[in-house]
Amino acid sequence: MSAIIVKDLVKRYGRFTAVQDVSFEVASGQVTALLGPNGAGKTTTIEILEGFLAPTAGAVQVLGANPRTGGRDWRARIGLVLQTTSLDAQLTVTEALTTFGALYRKPRRAAEVLDLIDLASDARTRIGALSGGQRRRVDLGLAIIGQPEMLFLDEPTTGLDPEARRRLWSVIENLTAAGTTVLLTTHYLDEAQYLAHRVIVLADGRVVADASPDELRAMGGVPMVTFRLPPSAPALPPALAQHVARNVLTMPSADVTADLATLIDWARENYVDLTGLEVGPPSLEDAYLSLIP
Amino acid sequence: MSEMALPRPGPVLASQIRYQLTLLMRNPRAIAAGLILPGALLALERGSAQHITMAQAAPKIAGLVALSAIAIAYFSHANGLVVAREDGVLRRWRVSPLPAWAYFAGRIAATMLVTAAAGLILVLVAVGMTGVHLTAHAVLGLLVVDLLGALALAAAGTAITAVIPSAQSAQPMLMLTYIPLIVLSGAFGAIQSLPHWVNTAMTYLPVQPAIDAASRALQHNGAMMSAHDLAVLVGWVAGGLLLSFWCFRWDPHRPAHARPAQARTTARSARQ
Repeated sequence: MSAIIVKDLVKRYGRFTAVQDVSFEVASGQVTALLGPNGAGKTTTIEILEGFLAPTAGAVQVLGANPRTGGRDWRARIGLVLQTTSLDAQLTVTEALTTFGALYRKPRRAAEVLDLIDLASDARTRIGALSGGQRRRVDLGLAIIGQPEMLFLDEPTTGLDPEARRRLWSVIENLTAAGTTVLLTTHYLDEAQYLAHRVIVLADGRVVADASPDELRAMGGVPMVTFRLPPSAPALPPALAQHVARNVLTMPSADVTADLATLIDWARENYVDLTGLEVGPPSLEDAYLSLIP
Repeated sequence: MSEMALPRPGPVLASQIRYQLTLLMRNPRAIAAGLILPGALLALERGSAQHITMAQAAPKIAGLVALSAIAIAYFSHANGLVVAREDGVLRRWRVSPLPAWAYFAGRIAATMLVTAAAGLILVLVAVGMTGVHLTAHAVLGLLVVDLLGALALAAAGTAITAVIPSAQSAQPMLMLTYIPLIVLSGAFGAIQSLPHWVNTAMTYLPVQPAIDAASRALQHNGAMMSAHDLAVLVGWVAGGLLLSFWCFRWDPHRPAHARPAQARTTARSARQ
C-alpha cells in the first residue's frame, strides 16, 4: 500500500498557481526526495500533505487518510520537521522531548532520542542556548519521539555542518531500515543522492521528473569523463583540450571507449598518472539543472 | 496501526499544565508585570497613609490584584500566544496528537494558577504593610474571584489574538485595550468625573466586576459576588472561549499572496 497518494493536485493563491496537476505515489518504507528551485512548489506540496493547507483541487491521502481531516490517531502516526525551527526556547532539550513524548502511544525514551540526535551532553541545556544546528536536531528528535510511520522532513539539514549532516543521514537511514516512510525536501543534491530511493523534481509547480537518482542522472545526457590534470601536465590533444577549465577535464562523451583510448594514449606517452579519472553518468546536479527551466 | 490507545485526556492535560507553568515561570517579564508594578504602587500608596481599615484598604488591594491579573492573564497570556503563533510553535503543536482543547486548557489553567499566586502574594504583602486583619474565608473568597477573573481575562486574551497580525503589533494593540480597561475600571481608584455611560460600560467589562468582587471578598461582606458581577465574568469566559473556537489562528500571519499569475513566465523569460 502506498503511504502517500497525490492525484492531480492543484494549489492556487488568488491568481497565482503554486502547484499544478501534480501526481505521485510514495511506497511505504521508502525515502523520497522532492527537489526543485525556490518557488517550485515543494513546500506547498509538503504542507498540503501535512494537513496545513487545503488543496484547491485534486486529492491527497497520507497513510490512508485525508490530512485535513486526519484526527489524533492519524497525527500520532506522522512526524515532521518544518522548514523553520519552531521550538520553545525556555525549555530544556529533555523537557521538550518529554512533553512531546507524552502525546504518543509508545514514545521512545527521551534518553534514546538524545543519543540518536547526539545531544545527550546537552540534555539539560535550554533550547535557546543551542546553536542553529543543534536546534535542528532537537526538531528531528521531536519528530521521531513518537516512532512515526511517516516522516516529513522539510530541508532538515539546512544550516548543519557536514558532520552533523552525516549523523542526521545516519538517523534517517536507521529509521527507513525500521520501516518508516520519509518524504524530504532538500536543496542538497548529495543528500538526495545518498538517501533517496526516488527523486521527484518540481519546477514551476509541475513534476518534471520522477525517477531513482541513477535514472535521473542518466536523463542528464551522455556520460561524463572527468579528470583533474596534474599541475605540470603537458598539453592535451585538441579534441580533449577544449573541455578543460581550471585545470579540470570535464568532457561529455558520446563514445566513451574512443575518448578514453585517446586520453590513455596521451597519458602513456607523457607518463601521466590517471588516478582520479572518473567516468560515469552526469552528476545528479547536472541532470537536475538540465531539467529545471 | 498500533493497538495501544493514545494517552488519556487527564495525563495529557496535566503534562500541558506542567509545560505551560514551566514557560511562565521562566518568563520573568510576565511575573514582573504581575508583581512588581502592583507592588510598587502598593508601597507608594501605603507610604502616604497612617491608619487604615479593611473597608478602606479592600478596594485599593482589590484594584492592585486586578492590575496584576490583567497583566498576567490578559496581556502576557495574549502576547505569549501571538509570539508562539508567529514563531511557528503553535503550528508544531497543531500537527501533533495534542487535542486543541488540551493546549488551551493547559495554557489557561497555568495562567490562572500564576495569576492566583501573584494575587495572593500581593494581598499578603498588603496585609503585612497595612496591618489589617484578613480571615481565611476572605483569602478563599479572594482566590475564587481571582481565578474566575483570570479565566475571564485569559478567555478574552485568547480571543483577541485573532485580530493581532504579528508579534510586533501585539504589544501596542494589547496596550490599547489594557490601559483604558485598568484605568477606567477603578484599579487605581475610582474616577469621579466619568460620564455615566462609561461607568455603565465598565460594569460589563471583566475588570470592574472582578475588583468589586475581590473587594467584597476581602471585607467578607455578605455574598462573595453579586449576581451581576458573576454573570459578567461567566459571560466573558463563555464569550471569549466561543470566539476563540471560531476565530483562533494557529498559523503565522501570511501576507496576501501578491504574485500575479504572469510572474512565473516573466522569471522564466529572464533566465532564457
